Amino acid sequence: MLARAAGARSGAKQRSDKDARSGKIDAVQINFGGREIALKLVYYGPALSGKTTNLRSLHELTTEGSRGRLMTLETKDDRTLFFDMLPLMLRAEQDRGMTLRIKIFTVPGQVLHASTRRLVLQGADGVAFIADSQISETEHNAASFLDLRQNLTELGLSLKSLPVVIQFNKRDLDKVRSDSEIDTLAKRGREAVFKASAVTGAGVLETFFGLLYLTWTKLDREHQLAKLLGIPSTELLPMAARQLGVSTDVGQLISACVGGSLERHLQGLA
Amino acid sequence: MTAAAPHVSAEDLLLDGRIRVEDLVDRAGLEELCKSFQSLFGIPVRIYSSDGSLLGDAVGEHELCAYVNTTPGGRSACEATVAAVRARDPGPSGDVSHACFTGAAYRVMALEYEGRRVGRLVLGPFLPANVAEAPASLLAADGAIARDRAQALLMKVPRAKPETVTRIAEHLKSALDLILFAGHKAHVTSQMHLLSVRESYRQLEDKTAKLQEAFDRLKELDRLKSAFLATVSHELRTPLTSIIGYSEMLVEGLAGEMKPEQLEFVRTIHGKGEQLLSLISGLLDLGKLESGTMRMAMRVVRIESVLAEVVSTLAPTARRKGVRLELDPPGPLPELVGDPERLRQVFLNLVENAIKFTPAAGLVSLRASALSHDARGDAAADDDEDGVALLAPTRALLEVRVSDTGIGIPVRERAKVFDAFYQVDSSSTREYGGTGLGLSIVKRLVEAHSGAVRIEDNPPRGTTFVVSLPAKGGSVPAMHAVSV
Repeated sequence: MLARAAGARSGAKQRSDKDARSGKIDAVQINFGGREIALKLVYYGPALSGKTTNLRSLHELTTEGSRGRLMTLETKDDRTLFFDMLPLMLRAEQDRGMTLRIKIFTVPGQVLHASTRRLVLQGADGVAFIADSQISETEHNAASFLDLRQNLTELGLSLKSLPVVIQFNKRDLDKVRSDSEIDTLAKRGREAVFKASAVTGAGVLETFFGLLYLTWTKLDREHQLAKLLGIPSTELLPMAARQLGVSTDVGQLISACVGGSLERHLQGLA
Repeated sequence: MTAAAPHVSAEDLLLDGRIRVEDLVDRAGLEELCKSFQSLFGIPVRIYSSDGSLLGDAVGEHELCAYVNTTPGGRSACEATVAAVRARDPGPSGDVSHACFTGAAYRVMALEYEGRRVGRLVLGPFLPANVAEAPASLLAADGAIARDRAQALLMKVPRAKPETVTRIAEHLKSALDLILFAGHKAHVTSQMHLLSVRESYRQLEDKTAKLQEAFDRLKELDRLKSAFLATVSHELRTPLTSIIGYSEMLVEGLAGEMKPEQLEFVRTIHGKGEQLLSLISGLLDLGKLESGTMRMAMRVVRIESVLAEVVSTLAPTARRKGVRLELDPPGPLPELVGDPERLRQVFLNLVENAIKFTPAAGLVSLRASALSHDARGDAAADDDEDGVALLAPTRALLEVRVSDTGIGIPVRERAKVFDAFYQVDSSSTREYGGTGLGLSIVKRLVEAHSGAVRIEDNPPRGTTFVVSLPAKGGSVPAMHAVSV
């Protein structure tokens, strides 16, 4: 993958030398010619946990100017066939800056689409794991998470080095794991946890901005992205919120993270 | 739509997103779209890709342009304008006007997809609303251009206010955006499909390679096992022959008179020695049959005499157990070609088994009959074999049925009892003895005679082993090594 990045992309796209030397495979693509930085965020999770619903809600909760059309590739019965994709385009609000393109993907959750899942996951910069809060789905959540770990390993990535947030979706349903149960689990785990009800939009922005915060902070440290964009590091999230038409304060959004472990997760990232 | 390079990776496809209008949109369709816009609004439309190639246009030449082009100066001015428009960058705002020397104007606008410029739209020439008369630049282009004519033709150029042009352009852009999105989606879908199939194929290939490797290893192990079995069986037999021989001599008193108790012990040694020898012989046979080195002495055989010999050999065993052993008098039977010793082994084994599993006062019967394919009315006939229509008329068969009134064999176990060392119920080994080797040898020996063995019920109780062997008439060589 690295060799191709250097060769086939006519030299325009680069990964930093540091990464090339260490053999680490991040997807962040910096295209100096096109003045673009591209990030890939992937929404992973078991079948029917609400990954597509998250994207639809995110699409609805943001304004047209900075986001493209939501592309869904699904079968007749509304199950994701290959993936869904929502592109966001954030422009530095000054002349010399670059554009930050964020593409958010969902993977197909059904077991039979294993190979597609791995293809979509390839080169992810951050992962939001969408879990189903229903007690009956506990095993499916676990199986899907193991599947994620397995696929990351096969792709040369690792949960240890990848920004990951977990969303417990479908909080609006009955027979779900209780809030206190999730709080306890969140405190024990390494990953930041958000609660959501994607059908109503609750928790969707929180999850997205939580993941964006982690991914941005990590990649900014490694590649000085803020300098390329011509903004202070701390300005990215407020800028994203402004351009996406999100009026809620981003600090408030990401503080919805249960257990307050975003920083802990960041520190733990290799 | 052009197909992407075959080595496109998912990462390139999903993230790179270098969309090329020409890859996503059908050019003829684009041309039609331009034409419909022109006929609707009267303003010519051109669409250029990001590298400046013309993808679609609908440009009817205005009378003014035709007139101007009749003069050398007018033609070169016109060409310069068209070239300038064509090369005009729409600037940071993505929307610029470009004036024509005739007084008409062009609008050049950026075509964007997902926030990236993927091409340009050029609308015009049209006449800006505020132009009332032919400008000096039109007349200066060539002295031959007549003012009145030029003025009259200029007024025929469709007029449009800037906001109208903007509206038309926005409308065209949104139509194009939708077309690009649909094209992009179809492109991504088809590419993803290919990639997924390739990925699945790769996984399958990996698995196949692993399985093949495991299979090769097992085959080798199996070969080693057979070779080991053959060698060991042979080596075991040699000392055993001495044990049996010497114990026999002791029993016969060749080494002097023994006390009854001693005699009993030596008889046990002798009996167990014989039992061990038959087991080892079985293993040796199986090893040979499996490795394909069993040599068969084929000759013309009458099955009646083989069966009679088997019955007389086992009559004492049956009597001891209180089981009736009957050989139904056969009708006229065809001869067959086979190894009489091996055939005897087959039926000894089957009948011995039958006696073993039949309780006292039960019945074990043997019946041999000749079957032509036509005469076979039994439901179990293997009519679903390959090529029955071709092979059946030539196939006269001899069928031997060995029936018992024993414990029976459940249907699901019937295929397995022919596996080496398999016993329907492992506890039956203790009750009935046996190694589980006999039937696997029977099956292989029968198959070595081009025959088949199957199991049927013997209502109301018990089992029938049906051995069918081809009658003489085939081209079976007198001696051959059988590979099973």
